[in-house]
Amino acid sequence: MSARDDERLYHEQGVTLPETPPPSTDPPPWRETLTVGKRRSRVDGYERLSGAAIYPSDMQLPGMLHAAFLRCPHPHAKLTSLDTRAARALPGVHAVIDDTTPEAAIDWNYQGGEGGRLFAGHCRFEGAPVAAVAAETPHIAREAVEAIVAEWEVLPHVSDARDADAEDAPRIRDGGNRIGEPSIYTRGDVAQGFAEADAVVERDFHTACELHTPLELHGCVAAWDGLDLTIWESTQGCFRVQEQVAGYLDLPLSRVRVVGHYMGGGFGSKLETGKYAVVAALLARRTGRPVKLVLTREETMLVCGNRPANSMHMKVGVRKDGTLTAIELTGRGSGGFWRGGTGLVDWLAKDLYACPNVRTELTSWATNAGNQRPFRAPGHPQGSWALEQVLDELAGTIGIDPVELRLRNVPGESQARGGVPYSSTGLAECLRDGAREFGWEEARRRTRESREAWLARGGNGGAPHRLRGVGVGGCVWVAGGGGPPATVLVRMYADGSVTLNMGAADIGTGTRTVMASIVAEELGVRLETIQVENADTGTTAFSGPSGGSKTVPTDGPATRDATVALKQQLLAWASEQLDTPRENLRYAGEFIEVRGRDQRLKVTDVERLQRRRSVVGVGHRGPNQEGLAICPFAAHFCEVEVDTLTGEVRVLRFLGAQDSGRVMSRKTFDSQVYGGIAMGIGFGLTEERVLDRGQTGKLCNKSWHDYKLPTAMDVPADLVSLPIELQDDRCNNIGAKGLGEPVTIPTASAIANAIHDACGVWIDDTPASPPRVLAALRRQRDRKEARR
Amino acid sequence: MSISQDLAYLRAADLDEALRHLEKDGACVHGGGSDLVTCLREGTVTCAQVISIGGLDDLRAITPTSIGALATIAELGRHEEIERRLPALAAAARAVGSPQLRNQGTLGGNLCQKPRCWYWRGDFHCLRQGGDTCYAAFGQNHGHAIFGAEACVYVHPSDTAVALTAYEARVRIAGPGRSSRTRTVPVDEFFVLPADDPTRETVVGRGEIVTAVEVPAPPDGHVGVYRKIRARGAWDFALTSAAIVLAFEGGDRGKPVRHARLVLGGVAPAPWRAAAAEQALVGRRLDESTIAAAAEAAVADASALDHNGFKIDLVQGVLREELQSLAG
Repeated sequence: MSARDDERLYHEQGVTLPETPPPSTDPPPWRETLTVGKRRSRVDGYERLSGAAIYPSDMQLPGMLHAAFLRCPHPHAKLTSLDTRAARALPGVHAVIDDTTPEAAIDWNYQGGEGGRLFAGHCRFEGAPVAAVAAETPHIAREAVEAIVAEWEVLPHVSDARDADAEDAPRIRDGGNRIGEPSIYTRGDVAQGFAEADAVVERDFHTACELHTPLELHGCVAAWDGLDLTIWESTQGCFRVQEQVAGYLDLPLSRVRVVGHYMGGGFGSKLETGKYAVVAALLARRTGRPVKLVLTREETMLVCGNRPANSMHMKVGVRKDGTLTAIELTGRGSGGFWRGGTGLVDWLAKDLYACPNVRTELTSWATNAGNQRPFRAPGHPQGSWALEQVLDELAGTIGIDPVELRLRNVPGESQARGGVPYSSTGLAECLRDGAREFGWEEARRRTRESREAWLARGGNGGAPHRLRGVGVGGCVWVAGGGGPPATVLVRMYADGSVTLNMGAADIGTGTRTVMASIVAEELGVRLETIQVENADTGTTAFSGPSGGSKTVPTDGPATRDATVALKQQLLAWASEQLDTPRENLRYAGEFIEVRGRDQRLKVTDVERLQRRRSVVGVGHRGPNQEGLAICPFAAHFCEVEVDTLTGEVRVLRFLGAQDSGRVMSRKTFDSQVYGGIAMGIGFGLTEERVLDRGQTGKLCNKSWHDYKLPTAMDVPADLVSLPIELQDDRCNNIGAKGLGEPVTIPTASAIANAIHDACGVWIDDTPASPPRVLAALRRQRDRKEARR
Repeated sequence: MSISQDLAYLRAADLDEALRHLEKDGACVHGGGSDLVTCLREGTVTCAQVISIGGLDDLRAITPTSIGALATIAELGRHEEIERRLPALAAAARAVGSPQLRNQGTLGGNLCQKPRCWYWRGDFHCLRQGGDTCYAAFGQNHGHAIFGAEACVYVHPSDTAVALTAYEARVRIAGPGRSSRTRTVPVDEFFVLPADDPTRETVVGRGEIVTAVEVPAPPDGHVGVYRKIRARGAWDFALTSAAIVLAFEGGDRGKPVRHARLVLGGVAPAPWRAAAAEQALVGRRLDESTIAAAAEAAVADASALDHNGFKIDLVQGVLREELQSLAG
């Protein structure tokens, strides 16, 4: 392709574009597509890879100061005195603020009702900030923080939800350590369901707390221009940050501009802002200088959220024919001092598999530890860890293949919503096509033979000591249908070039590329030529934060509507200019054609466009169709090798079969699947927050060395993304459901099932690290010896 | 959480200059810096002047009997002569950290690295930090010692030290004050157990620099392996590791073992020689019962803390796996 071709706005002739519906009519579903769903590179790939993209962490403004926090070093303590004189006296220090600073005396709300102050004297978790400093350099800011003298009255703490109701547990919360009432759900009669079962399995599980560690740290730069505040923040939702900061500082929304053009990763922790944005704004106002406040990795690990640990008792009954009769889940967790820690842990128990009798009871406890924040598919991987393992154990008990057992219990409707139909459900296809593509049956035969031979030779300790196993897990994601509000603007200039303007962030998922693909699909312009302007409250229209796998199904339909509106306007003008009824015209990319005649008008020759110099199409995300549940489904398959002498688990291959409706961009779709599986491998095999439980209660592993994210060596090269692309004309006008979260839900449970398939031991607790696998193997050995 | 702005930095032109400056209060040696810089940032090591020896090319040489302290871990891992002569050392080098760390890290630094105990690295004023208690002894001690754990229960993080102990290497140390003053210390006397002094990890004194490691020729017909178990596939220290150097009578794996060195990593505050396991091997054919006896002997003296009992199984598992592989 020559440089000239590369700059062409439009595809060569011969492109058939979707019909443009008359005004106030929904566009028909796409069938074959030209750009959408194809393997196209990211529209901002070059900028991201070359370093040209400017992330909030990269921001440098003239005269910019650097800020840092003084934080409480204890999980529970009262500040008894704070002396900032030495810090103020350091050369290069411009401001020190704390709770006695008039404008910093702000009530803070940790989502969930209460929360204390911006700088609270009574600190309920390690890392709660009590003062902040702005200085000429990051070094001076840090030295100033160290020069502040704080004295503490250390109070008794609770580190773990499992300790919170112990008789000798310190009472850390007025009214008791429990947060709210237990959340109880019932459907049918579980007692009767268990009575009807031919087999019942119940086990206790524990999933470890996972810390948020996005590559780009949490933080921002704040600058004032008169009464106008601008914040560059690494965020999943600039409009959420705008509303939070404006609320805390009592400013009109119009005075707060939040920019998040590029951001370096967010998995739920950046759905909200932190105290850093408010503090940066306060320090910037006080000093009259821009202020940069980016947290350290250690700070983000303390205060920027986590997936709560959960303890679960899962009990499931099944008939010999594989029909589930009852599911009962009791669980507990802690989301820190203020927030619940069990949200959606029971969703899969209630909704994934057909079962008439279900009871769940979840209890949240307050602990003196960092707050939970939404974490890629909140609650789901935890519940999956318990449910999918118990299903496999039941499959073994009644002698049915695990895939077959799941297939026999695919629900026709959303049971947890009282029987609402799904817009589409690909659970059965995910399981069936996934199993075929993976080579499930052949692999099961192979692993059963090796396991049985090993056990026959005495099992544990016998040769060969490395055994392979395969595992499966299914899932639904509670959300993923998107919905209002979101507004998108598509603008065409007089030269035919196009910009896409939307509020949504691209958190690494490929939002820019997906939305530009929609515009390209409808307008016939080449994908690479679309200029995307996004995530800036000052210049783009509203969209909520990117979370809940909602961005594609929310902003996607609005983008299509905006593009269609643009075409409708151009057709209306062309109709006037050509004195031809609008329905005789067809929008065909570079040209508007007159049907049945050899006549066409170049889009850039539309006179009204030339006079106005640009035309804007606006799309608003309308409500979803009532009475429908719009949910993505998935099934994951994996093969592992377990070293029965060392407890090492190596993941050899993985396949993710995902039903998220239409694939919007194949490359970014696959990236999501690979990334979700990698993250699920971390949840299943390596990640675990460690608090100094029983001693100081402080965080032990607040570094990337001690907090074990999986590395490239832990994720198999043999990763397969298998889209189960069902045509869903009811979910929205692009036919796509969310993808970002279901990709990580059944990963860890599939691994646990594969470990069992390999060597016959169940792993109750995450992560399935060598210590846990060895302990399970030892129990297996001890049981066998006890039987002899 | 940040390196002091007042930190002075000197790049020494020769060993004598480095040793001269090292005599000053608060001076410390900078080789590859992959550990030192982290420690300075964390504030776990305080230092007024960093003396870089990175320019002392004499300390990079690798000869058949001596490895310079500035040889990088990556060089050790791919050096043909070392692979042939000291295969367990080459394998240990390849098991260190990540490619970036192996390119930057040096052998001297790998031997002299600081503990990886999360209490010592965190803001816990522990015994080794000058406090009065070892938090790990009764705390979150999954990664801590099952041997030699008195007073402080950290485990020495070096992979190469484990292999070098199996090869009975000696560490050459220069200083204090001048390069003509040198001493050599057997590697199994190089590390200081906390029961003897919980504030230091090695015998390297003030003003001294590790300049080389001398490795005698292993016995004829020797075989050697290094195996490391870690929580993830790279960029991690050992939950347990083992270096094994064996020689069989007549160089025949079917015949009795005549020389055995079994050294464990990740289980003690120093590379831990499993002497009883060695005795269980020597003079016997490497069959299933010999292997089982050696694995059991290796942990006879082990004593687990609250959360690291798995290491007793793990040591046995690693030894069984590797001895079985050597039995052919």
